[in-house]
Amino acid sequence: MSVQAVTAKMAEVELKDVTGKDAPPAISPLTPKAEEKKSVNNSTLPSAAAATVEPSPVTTAPSPVKMPQASAMKRPDPQQNGGEAFVNCDGTVAEAPRMKKIQFADQKQEFNKRPTKISRRSLSRSISQSSTDSYSSAASYTDSSDDETSPRDKQQKNSKGNADFCIKNIKQADFGRREIEIAEQEMPALMALRKRAQGEKPLAGAKIVGCTHITAQTAVLMETLSALGAQCRWAACNIYSTQNEVAAALAEGGFSVFAWKGESEDDFWWCIDRCVNVEGWQPNMILDDGGDLTHWIYKKYPNMFKKIKGIVEESVTGVHRLYQLSKAGKLCVPAMNVNDSVTKQKFDNLYCCRESILDGLKRTTDVMFGGKQVVVCGYGEVGKGCSAALKAMGSIVYVTEIDPICALQACMDGFRLVKLNEVIRQVDIVITCTGNKNVVVREYMDRMKNGCIVCNMGHSNTEIDVASLRTPELTWERVRSQVDHVIWPDGKRIVLLAEGRLLNLSCSTVPTFVLSITATTQALALIELYNAPEGRYKQDVYLLPKKMDEYVASLHLPTFDAHLTELSDEQAKYLGLNKNGPFKPNYYRY
Amino acid sequence: MTDCGGDLKLEVKQASKEFKESENVAEKYSAMTGTNMNVGELSAAFTAVPTHKSMKKQIQFANQEEKQEFSKFPTKTGRRSLSRSISQSSTDSYSSAASYTDSSDDETSPREKSQVNSKGSSDFCIKNIKQAEFGRREIEIAEQDMSALISLRKRAQGEKPLAGAKVVGCTHITAQTAVLIETLVALGAQCRWTACNIYSTQNEVAAALAESGVSVFAWKGESEDDFWWCIDRCVNMEGWQANMILDDGGDLTHWVYKKYPSVFKKVRGIVEESVTGVHRLYQLSKAGKLCVPAMNVNDSVTKQKFDNLYCCRESILDGLKRTTDVMFGGKQVVVCGYGEVGKGCCSALKALGAIVCVTEIDPICALQACMDGFRVVKLNEVVRQMDMVITCTGNKNVVTREHLDRMKNGCIVCNMGHSNTEIDVASLRTPELTWERVRSQVDHVIWPDGKRVILLAEGRLLNLSCSTVPSFVLSITATTQALALIELYNAPESRYKQDVYLLPKKMDEYVASLHLPNFDAHLTELSDEQAKYMGLNKNGPFKPNYYRY
Repeated sequence: MSVQAVTAKMAEVELKDVTGKDAPPAISPLTPKAEEKKSVNNSTLPSAAAATVEPSPVTTAPSPVKMPQASAMKRPDPQQNGGEAFVNCDGTVAEAPRMKKIQFADQKQEFNKRPTKISRRSLSRSISQSSTDSYSSAASYTDSSDDETSPRDKQQKNSKGNADFCIKNIKQADFGRREIEIAEQEMPALMALRKRAQGEKPLAGAKIVGCTHITAQTAVLMETLSALGAQCRWAACNIYSTQNEVAAALAEGGFSVFAWKGESEDDFWWCIDRCVNVEGWQPNMILDDGGDLTHWIYKKYPNMFKKIKGIVEESVTGVHRLYQLSKAGKLCVPAMNVNDSVTKQKFDNLYCCRESILDGLKRTTDVMFGGKQVVVCGYGEVGKGCSAALKAMGSIVYVTEIDPICALQACMDGFRLVKLNEVIRQVDIVITCTGNKNVVVREYMDRMKNGCIVCNMGHSNTEIDVASLRTPELTWERVRSQVDHVIWPDGKRIVLLAEGRLLNLSCSTVPTFVLSITATTQALALIELYNAPEGRYKQDVYLLPKKMDEYVASLHLPTFDAHLTELSDEQAKYLGLNKNGPFKPNYYRY
Repeated sequence: MTDCGGDLKLEVKQASKEFKESENVAEKYSAMTGTNMNVGELSAAFTAVPTHKSMKKQIQFANQEEKQEFSKFPTKTGRRSLSRSISQSSTDSYSSAASYTDSSDDETSPREKSQVNSKGSSDFCIKNIKQAEFGRREIEIAEQDMSALISLRKRAQGEKPLAGAKVVGCTHITAQTAVLIETLVALGAQCRWTACNIYSTQNEVAAALAESGVSVFAWKGESEDDFWWCIDRCVNMEGWQANMILDDGGDLTHWVYKKYPSVFKKVRGIVEESVTGVHRLYQLSKAGKLCVPAMNVNDSVTKQKFDNLYCCRESILDGLKRTTDVMFGGKQVVVCGYGEVGKGCCSALKALGAIVCVTEIDPICALQACMDGFRVVKLNEVVRQMDMVITCTGNKNVVTREHLDRMKNGCIVCNMGHSNTEIDVASLRTPELTWERVRSQVDHVIWPDGKRVILLAEGRLLNLSCSTVPSFVLSITATTQALALIELYNAPESRYKQDVYLLPKKMDEYVASLHLPNFDAHLTELSDEQAKYMGLNKNGPFKPNYYRY
């Protein structure tokens, strides 16, 4: 079976999965074809415009239940793209446009009809690659459970008689355990952390309340925290990303988890509230992804902050909110910005995109790269990754930039620096990774040659002016999932991928290794904040200390069978360094 | 959309506020992490910072013959050489164009000669004013490669941003520096200049500068005494007081502090280029003795990248080829250290088909090496099978006698990192080993069993000893210096306090943009709409200060 066949099929499966599950009365048949093309228009409007109540799913058709390939292939779950902002490729922490619509890989029209609340919430999603994307692994086996009762109305107990959780179905725990065990294999750093720190139990007494994507990888993180002595209560930071069976396994394992796939807005906040508001238990640490949990506690239980030692926040959005709080003088506990740690940044942007650009293009178009002329817009971390990968495949790469320093780097790396309009006629592939808006406008697309591939690696869906292509004289033809041909009156076609949304989220996957980096960073940030002596952190937003950053990296070195050299005493003295790091000043650029 | 635009702006603004431009580095970062960075840590920052031990090293020369002579110099020379700047472009300026006129048989000391230029001025002290024409030609050649400074002259000439500036400078005196000096003059400054190294002066260039009216005090082969005499002549001048200092190594600053502290009342700022000099400034600043603002141009993004990554990427191949004519394809190479220099060396060698592995102490850099496709090893694991060992750690005794003993026959050992400490060459000076000089800069060290190790430049810097620094790199440095002077001179009173600052990002970006025409590179401009969306000024700065490039 060829790859694209699989992906196509899987996309379909997901579609059915989701629709099957959400399943209220069907309104219109959902066909990923002509219909969709039209309804797609919605996605370019603020989703507020289309405000029907519930997702309008379709098929009552029983969806294929288990798709082992699904987990193997790790297709991104289409729902989760929702209105993400991204660490923009220039590394500037750009914010997500608040009003932006949710991005879906496949069935966007459904969700466009959601009430605006969702788009608001979706916006508060985390923006880092690993964060946003954790759900791209293993589609839930059990989505299509025909049990339509809301988990809130169900009484469930785990095998130990504990009922302090709220999930879809506790019976799925075994499946979930298997998922977690698979993830453990690929997250040796956290496992090593468990072993190394278990003796001392650095988190003994910590009561952590968390709000992240609930996936097998997160489960490994939670169980690590627990192994280190912490008590955890957890809610999902995204209404769609929860792997129900993993939640079940966690509940069975004694964690108080409040999450299921397909929560409503109301469920979402209810879960968070249940997480926080419990008799006789007060959190003293917060692990947040998107800032919703922090926001809720600020709003509802401000007293809680008296006991809280710190907030660890992973996403760009959440970090942004924290900086705003801090600026307004309202931040009353220390917060750790793990999003901007060196290791995480490099993996989220440079290394991850370097691979996913090739993967995404191949899966969608089967294009051959050798000798192709490619223009990469933006030479930040993402642009550097894309350019390097394409150059290695023998493409002729041009770069556009606005920042003279990055431009000079592109020159020195052997790329021609051009303006887009100078080369647009002759290039075969246009890739945007600027973090900006309207980088590729209609005028450029008019001048592209036949068959030119246009895709976005940068930031939400603003970089390519897709709206300008929704005009009567242009014909849209969906040729595959995520691939549209836009046909000009004269017969010229351009190939638009993922409708201008992020290629790396829509058409490629995030490796567990990257998620492992993130999870390890979070765990170490928690340990650091929890154990820091009183005066070290004030009521401000901090970056992860360099030493912790280095420790994250060192925990991942065994994966590569890498042997780190140690300084001799004499050498350490000569350099004026501690043998165990930190090895670089904070302004070192790596 | 407007909503989001607002958000964005807020954040960016905030970022820029938080990491305010050219804030003191130490302060800034300690604020970010909440840990206090002391100067000790800071010095560690510059992996290449020599501690005072390393100051004892001998001067490095491009020309082997000279070396013998100079290592016999009294220790004073050694001390001074230590205060030399360490940045690539700074240290290395003298490797370009050997002075034509070294062998002049005129043995009179310039101090005893009385010379007058064609305009009747005699306020200079150089070897021989008659060489001015040669020097002018050198300068004109350099101008070709330094189009950024030339375009700076054109762009800023109308406004004369340095009008009234009285710059006293202490740098290598080469054709490239001359282009810088003449640029400063064109921008309105008065300059008095001296050499920061007793050997690096190109006499004919000094002559050309003197002829054109710049007061230059420098010649090739000064004595220690001459050196300080020149600096003193530069500073101590009736009716003229410097208000800007451009230094490379910190000697000039040191002298002014010691002898003429009152001068600092009028000085608006110090621009320092070298790691050593910057280190000294941070020490002064820590001791609360820094009484004017200082600009650390050594750590500007553009300069760092060119001094280390880009320059070493080329010079490793060049240096090895020139000395050994080795073929790289399929060779096994170990690169010790994966900082900027190591990254450059690795990528160049990989591109030529060498099999490269890396040693590192810093896990983050080690992980980078892994992700770039290099095996991370310990040196002792692989030293037996390597064809080449390259050090770029900034550390000492990275390659020890024990490693050298285990190397295979014909292994090439060289140092790209830092002075001459990385390879323990002293341990090879033992009776059982035979040294054979096969070429300039190339020694075969022969073990009793006949095994040979090929040691390049006796463990000194390969890139300085056996390769050249392109004018383009020097142009980056010179442009950075010029812009730093302009910034400090024109800054409103309160912008800079008595502290050490990094070059503002905007200036850094400007340096880069001045060099883009060399590549026929066409920079894209933000539209108003895009700039608003990003919350940026259309003209930059485009990145927050903590951006890592």
